[in-house]
Amino acid sequence: MDLIQNIFSSFVALVPVTLAQSLILAFVVLGIMIPFRTLNFPDLTSEGAFPLGGCVCGVLLAGGASPLTAIAVAVIAGFLAGCCTAFIHLRFRIHTLLAGILMMTMLYSINLRIMGKSNLSVFGSPSVFDWAPYLQPGFPASKIVIAGLIGAAVFILLNMFFKTEKGTAIRAVGANSDMAEAQGINVWVATIGGVGLASAFSATSGALMVQSQGFADVNMGLGILINGLAALMIGEAIVGKQTVLRQLAAPFVGAVVYYQLVSFCLAAGMPPPDLKLATGLFVLAMLALPSLKRSRGSAPARETIRE
Amino acid sequence: MLEIRSARKVFYKGQADEKVALDSLSLKLATGEFGVVIGSNGAGKSSMLNAISGALVLDSGQVIINGDDVTAMPVHKRAMRLARVFQDPMKGTAASMTVAENMLLADLRSQKRTLRQGLNATRLATYKERLSLLGLGLENRLDTRVELLSGGQRQSLSLIMAVGGSPDLLLLDEHTAALDPRTADIVMQATVRAVDALKLTTLMVTHNMQHAVDFGHSVIMLDAGKLRLEISGEEKAKVTVVDLIGHFSVKTDRMLLAS
Repeated sequence: MDLIQNIFSSFVALVPVTLAQSLILAFVVLGIMIPFRTLNFPDLTSEGAFPLGGCVCGVLLAGGASPLTAIAVAVIAGFLAGCCTAFIHLRFRIHTLLAGILMMTMLYSINLRIMGKSNLSVFGSPSVFDWAPYLQPGFPASKIVIAGLIGAAVFILLNMFFKTEKGTAIRAVGANSDMAEAQGINVWVATIGGVGLASAFSATSGALMVQSQGFADVNMGLGILINGLAALMIGEAIVGKQTVLRQLAAPFVGAVVYYQLVSFCLAAGMPPPDLKLATGLFVLAMLALPSLKRSRGSAPARETIRE
Repeated sequence: MLEIRSARKVFYKGQADEKVALDSLSLKLATGEFGVVIGSNGAGKSSMLNAISGALVLDSGQVIINGDDVTAMPVHKRAMRLARVFQDPMKGTAASMTVAENMLLADLRSQKRTLRQGLNATRLATYKERLSLLGLGLENRLDTRVELLSGGQRQSLSLIMAVGGSPDLLLLDEHTAALDPRTADIVMQATVRAVDALKLTTLMVTHNMQHAVDFGHSVIMLDAGKLRLEISGEEKAKVTVVDLIGHFSVKTDRMLLAS
């Protein structure tokens, strides 16, 4: 009984910190969802775009730039990285996953070049989290409010965007690119813009993370993709993905639930080194589920991340 | 008006399996004319349609639509002028999107897409009305995702999407071949009604000789990438299935059965 109480109390103590972290990382999950689901462009760029955003933001903060400027430049850098991945795929007909790996690998060097060293402390620099009204800067509450507000704004804007004429066209490119082209949609522009937008969100996440934790590290993206995928799948299992609204809500809900789950596992005594294995097995199980179901004879589900 | 001027396309050039798909093909289709294209497999029918739509880049020659040379235009630019219904019902629609969203995409084919809301009440009412012409009940399924429709319903939707907005040129690529006979008949009747009502310049590829006899103002027969035969006017009105089959250099079982 004591043990359970112990686990529970240490988990509860971590809930606010974890919530703040998950709201920041929700943007990476969004940056993974858009290419995978909306554009049918399985993409790994986020693993490089996330630290890219972090490194750009870190260097600018260290140089005395305002936190908003730092985030804005990080967003642009992320956007360009995503554009490059999409361009590599479209122009040279390289598989999207390979194009993503290429970009991610090259970005590692670029990130090192940007920072000049492998990590950079920006502790004490101003951050967007200082601007939460009535709240003490530096505490989880201010991070939850600020990250939550940005998240809500992005969610609402994207939901509106995907229902506009342009947004519908971008979704059509993911649904059936030949058909989209035959309906007069420029597939190149839509794909490059869409993947760019997704990477911009990943970079936003990295920039917010650096402002939240007070340091930037070139290795901060390590494993972010598999975490994001796991979060996305949890989110889709909870809210579904049949409509634009649900598909957009999935990354946010998934990120919050996933990181609380991780925190619970750690509180329950799971050794941190095993975390990636556990996450990997979880993603594998989620991907394998449809094919296991199929062999039992129920309706086959098409899974775009497979194959 | 559609004009093809000495179009030439060679696949696998310089290799052992070199294939001349289009061999100096020239063709004219007047405004409002409904041409039916026939020919055996490999005659160049699909290559010709792809060359017109822009999916196939010609080695030489020109494609002219309503007096404008579109040879250098990519597919999405040519879409402003032409609409196409594919043989495969899956190809012409976006499966994971709703009927209304697919209609919207087709509706915006020749317009600039803006940041305004896509599906508004006016548009939904228009789509409902257009779909009700089919008599398949699609007008009540505007929010259904297209992947849940049958092949015939999807193909009918593709057709309505293609003829909406009166394109300068309508390309029908064996668009009833994948359907069961009854559905094929419904889609074919809807096609003829729309083409007549809107006076669309139309090019229809078919393997169904009866369709070639029954519909259209002219019959165009391709063979080995060349124009082998063109029957139009009074001659077209009198032509029979047997006459058409007689012109094929290679006769398939399917054609013989049709006679």
